[in-house]
Amino acid sequence: MNGTARTARAEPRTSLGEHLRTALGLTGTHLGCEQGDCGACAVLLDGEPVCSCLVLAVQADGCRVETVESLARGDDLGPAQRALLEEHGLQCGFCTPGLLMRMTHARRTGAPASDVLGGHLCRCTGYGGLRAAVERHCAVEARKEDQP
Amino acid sequence: MKPVAFDHVAPVDLAAALDLLAERGTRAAPLAGGQSLVPLLNLRRVRPDVVVDLNHVVGLAGVRVTAGEVRIGAMTRLRVLESHPDVVAALPVLATAASAVAHPHVRTRATLGGSLCHANPAAELPAAAVALDARLVLRHRGGARVVPAAEFFTGPHTTVLAPGELLTEVVVPRVPELRFGFAELARPGGSGYPLVVALLGVAVEGGVVVAARAAAGGVAPTPVRLPGVEAALPGRRCTADDLSAGLATAPVDHAAGHRDAVLRSLLRRITAGLE
Amino acid sequence: MTTRVHIGLPVPPRNHPALLRGRGRFVDDLPFPGARHVAVLRSPVAHGRVTAFDATAARADPRCLLVLGPADVAELTDPIPLAWLLPDQRLDHVELAVDVVRYAGQPIGLVVATDRAAAEDVAELVDVRVEPLPAVASTAAALAPGAPRLHAEAEGNVVGRTHFGTPRDRLDEAFAEAHLVVEREFGIQRVSHSPLEPRGLVAEWEPGPGLLTVHASTQSPHAVRQELAAVLRLRADRVRVVARDVGGSFGGKVALHADEALVCLAAVVLGGQVKWVEDRVENLTAAYQGRGQRTRARLAVAADGRFLALHADVVGDLGAFAVQAGSGPLQVTALTIEGPYRFPAAGGTVTAVCTNLVPVGAYRGYGMQESTFIRERLVDEAARELGVDPVALRLRNMVEPGDMPYTTCTGLVYDSGDYSAALRSAARRVAPPSSAGPVRRGSAVTATVEMSGFAPSALIRQFDIAWAGWEGVRLVVNHDGTVTVHAGVTAVGQGIETSLAQIAADGLGVPLRWVDVRLGDTATAPHSDLASQASRALVLAGGALLRAAARLRARVLGLAARALDVPEADVVLDVPADVEPGSPEAVFRGASGVISWRELAHRAWRGWHRPEGVERIRLEENVDFDPPAITFAHGAHGAAVAVDVDTGVVTVEDYWTVHDNGVLVNPLVAEGQVVGGVAQGIGLALFEEVRHDPDTAEPLSTTFREYPLPAARDVPRVDVRHLCTPSPANPGGFKGLGEGGAIPPAATIACAVAAAVPEIAEVLTATPMTPERVWAALREAGIEGSPQWTER
Repeated sequence: MNGTARTARAEPRTSLGEHLRTALGLTGTHLGCEQGDCGACAVLLDGEPVCSCLVLAVQADGCRVETVESLARGDDLGPAQRALLEEHGLQCGFCTPGLLMRMTHARRTGAPASDVLGGHLCRCTGYGGLRAAVERHCAVEARKEDQP
Repeated sequence: MKPVAFDHVAPVDLAAALDLLAERGTRAAPLAGGQSLVPLLNLRRVRPDVVVDLNHVVGLAGVRVTAGEVRIGAMTRLRVLESHPDVVAALPVLATAASAVAHPHVRTRATLGGSLCHANPAAELPAAAVALDARLVLRHRGGARVVPAAEFFTGPHTTVLAPGELLTEVVVPRVPELRFGFAELARPGGSGYPLVVALLGVAVEGGVVVAARAAAGGVAPTPVRLPGVEAALPGRRCTADDLSAGLATAPVDHAAGHRDAVLRSLLRRITAGLE
Repeated sequence: MTTRVHIGLPVPPRNHPALLRGRGRFVDDLPFPGARHVAVLRSPVAHGRVTAFDATAARADPRCLLVLGPADVAELTDPIPLAWLLPDQRLDHVELAVDVVRYAGQPIGLVVATDRAAAEDVAELVDVRVEPLPAVASTAAALAPGAPRLHAEAEGNVVGRTHFGTPRDRLDEAFAEAHLVVEREFGIQRVSHSPLEPRGLVAEWEPGPGLLTVHASTQSPHAVRQELAAVLRLRADRVRVVARDVGGSFGGKVALHADEALVCLAAVVLGGQVKWVEDRVENLTAAYQGRGQRTRARLAVAADGRFLALHADVVGDLGAFAVQAGSGPLQVTALTIEGPYRFPAAGGTVTAVCTNLVPVGAYRGYGMQESTFIRERLVDEAARELGVDPVALRLRNMVEPGDMPYTTCTGLVYDSGDYSAALRSAARRVAPPSSAGPVRRGSAVTATVEMSGFAPSALIRQFDIAWAGWEGVRLVVNHDGTVTVHAGVTAVGQGIETSLAQIAADGLGVPLRWVDVRLGDTATAPHSDLASQASRALVLAGGALLRAAARLRARVLGLAARALDVPEADVVLDVPADVEPGSPEAVFRGASGVISWRELAHRAWRGWHRPEGVERIRLEENVDFDPPAITFAHGAHGAAVAVDVDTGVVTVEDYWTVHDNGVLVNPLVAEGQVVGGVAQGIGLALFEEVRHDPDTAEPLSTTFREYPLPAARDVPRVDVRHLCTPSPANPGGFKGLGEGGAIPPAATIACAVAAAVPEIAEVLTATPMTPERVWAALREAGIEGSPQWTER
């Protein structure tokens, strides 16, 4: 769980998203529809983006899970967070955590910006700043920053 | 909403999974990628006593290519299917159809078998299975049967699967002579669900179509082949104009109306790419 | 005079870093591990009589902590009073105790259990019997002869009527004489606000002191507090409502809903904490919705293109009952029907009708989206019928700056603005598109005027609305030199906290980060009924804050003068941009020396340096701002669309906006509001629609699959420009901008579709313009799509 082994019990019917929020106290991941339609709950499961509302918590037993809480390094925001902050890519911020995980995954894997926005609903921004942030974040030039 | 309480069992071998499904019958829900089942669980529209999680069953995922066919495990994720080199090489239209399903974070989990068994009449992969004459291997405790895709779907979200039966493999004949195209119109707005999907393949000799295959989703209670279209194209030159003219003569095989108009628009769009 | 340093700068909202780290504090994120969880029992049918409520089996479940049914609710609560009625409206409350249900999803009772899933399990054990009655699924059905009657207080299912503007007989005369009359029937569908965070609350009852504390996702904590006190028969000072982060609202979180009141009742009955977070299905089927009207409207034009008269006969769907401001949006449609044009005669008639659908409340644009759609479509149709340029026709009739203040026929007084300049600016940038193959392209521009900064107390009284229209702030310089703004308006994602900080910083002349803004807690926030709605937060709280800052700055300078023993005029506040409030470099300078900002603040709180005979010590200013008038923002939008005549798909390819929102405090926030509003407008224009079964009135839009929100692919890049005519109606020159983006898109897109396919222009009078409906209109008009294809 964000780089640390965590143990917590879950009922079989509990979704991964709800389990993160309740048993593990990681409330950054938000449940917007519990139908896989809005993307707010996206997390990385073994490095791949999933809707945490559509994965049972028990299915994540033994898996690596990464959430929004893993993205900043101390006081410094991560690159996806910086891009959204600087491009005004959020307003209420409820949908943002899922999008951040998709952006993070896209930059790791080289996926294009156009791949990222699909499946994420934002009711506030009209996608203006959000689109600019994702494009900037996924640009080839930006990715070079990630090279050690 | 939260699901009803259920047990979760995750067998590692197929026999154990089939035993469980046989014993629990309609009270068991097989869980593949979960992208169709879990939404229904979350709405309490599906209320199982036990969820049989297939994600750890050995041998249900993967792609094998032989001279005549491509055999795809039912638990193969769409993320794998859309980019699998053997699928892209042997059945490029299947990879394209898989890549059109929902969004990347859904395809990470979603499986070919799950999509077929969910049997959304407008969905991409059921229509592709029908277009490609896929054969579906259905296993139950102590036996198996093979059902052609065209006979598998019986209505919206219904199939011939009996309680205790599991789709384990999808066998797709290779038809290298047919060159396919795929197109879909998604419903407007963010849901991204398809309204109509269309597949059209043509075999061409000397610039002239000698055989055609066409199928659609979203125009009938199940995905359907389009025999009128398949009969109208042979003899046409393989140009967008001539194929379109051929399409124009094709009788329509289902109810007319908006979806039919969309389908014809999609088929025309495909013919432009087949030129 | 305030020096603008931070006002006008694109400052990123100050809560964004925390939100980006996953440290938001939305209701469901608040750490209440001991809270018990609610499942609301809802009516399965749209109309029926509750004949039995048996919780025996539910109560036997060990996880069940409480079940409340209609009898308990009747005994323990009073109804929610309404605030804004039509003149003849007799329905004046929202029932909590229900014996007749009037919409599918209406709360009947609730279950409290150990967790949410358990509560839903237990809820299934409650035996609720509802004997169905015939249901009414539309205003047409409600008004039909012999329709089932929903309320004893609403004869013929009409809740109330009113008329604004030129009397109807004079309107009829004006139409009778006109060269051209364009008349159409318009339909604006029901929509769902669908904030990504649904409603939700955690209510805590402390039986000892008898205190109810409610953490809620609301736009209006003070209004909720008063309503809760009334409903639960508590003293107002025993109820505290706190709104932390709110995940979008758009008008959907302005009023206490019955289910929210029941959750608070459960807390009072049980003691301790009780939590309910609405799920998406509930949000789409039980939370109040927006819009929903059918309007017959006509425009009279002289041969030379002068507008002679405009009349809209608005039939509005209130749903199952009138909510707190029930008919408000319908009244605003009538009041704002004239928009930016001059009319010798104009008026709006309102008929508010009840149906067995979800009640309708405020939604971003509040009646003005509807009036703009009706008016701008009529104007475009008039231009088409006259064969004149639609932009020229608009300019011919516009209210000009020299006409200000301009009083409309319905009695609105426009304060300022250059409407023609906005329209010209938009029209210049809209490029005429070209058509190709089965895709036809077209573009259009429209104009609108937006009521904002609602409202002067006198106007509120004139309409007999039971709310306060004014807005208050408390500005404090703390003993450590930090600055705190307390305001009654609320942060709902729109960025008001940041704009207020910018205003306070400039008003006091201190760095931005010295200022903290505290909103949303009725224990500390100045009173506010309307809070963040009606595009008023910045206009009114900002106006109050400028005054508070000017007064506090004068007091501080006076204290500094006495501390330094120099004349006030000789004191200079010298604060380097990047220092902290406790820095020795942040000083007041006088000829005799310096005193630091922090030291002065500390002494002030000790009561030192105040003038002889002055009792006031606290270094804070309370200012109530009751605006002299509503202030009117305005704008023009342009759209370029592509219409695929084969499929009926409409794609918005380009979008341009020009708004005059007076003085902009934060252009980043302003642009975000406009673009976000445009996206909602596109959704309404093209596909968003709450649908119900036409016979049973039961909901068909229960998930985002059936109620799709606009996704990135549906919204083009939006070009945003601003003009600036400072408002004369408030100290900052501000005009509201929360709704302006959402108001014109449906009108603009429909006009652009009409330009692309004039053959169907006459029937482009209803939204949403879905592919199926546009396709049907095209076929009806004889447009057959691609020529290569023949019909069977």
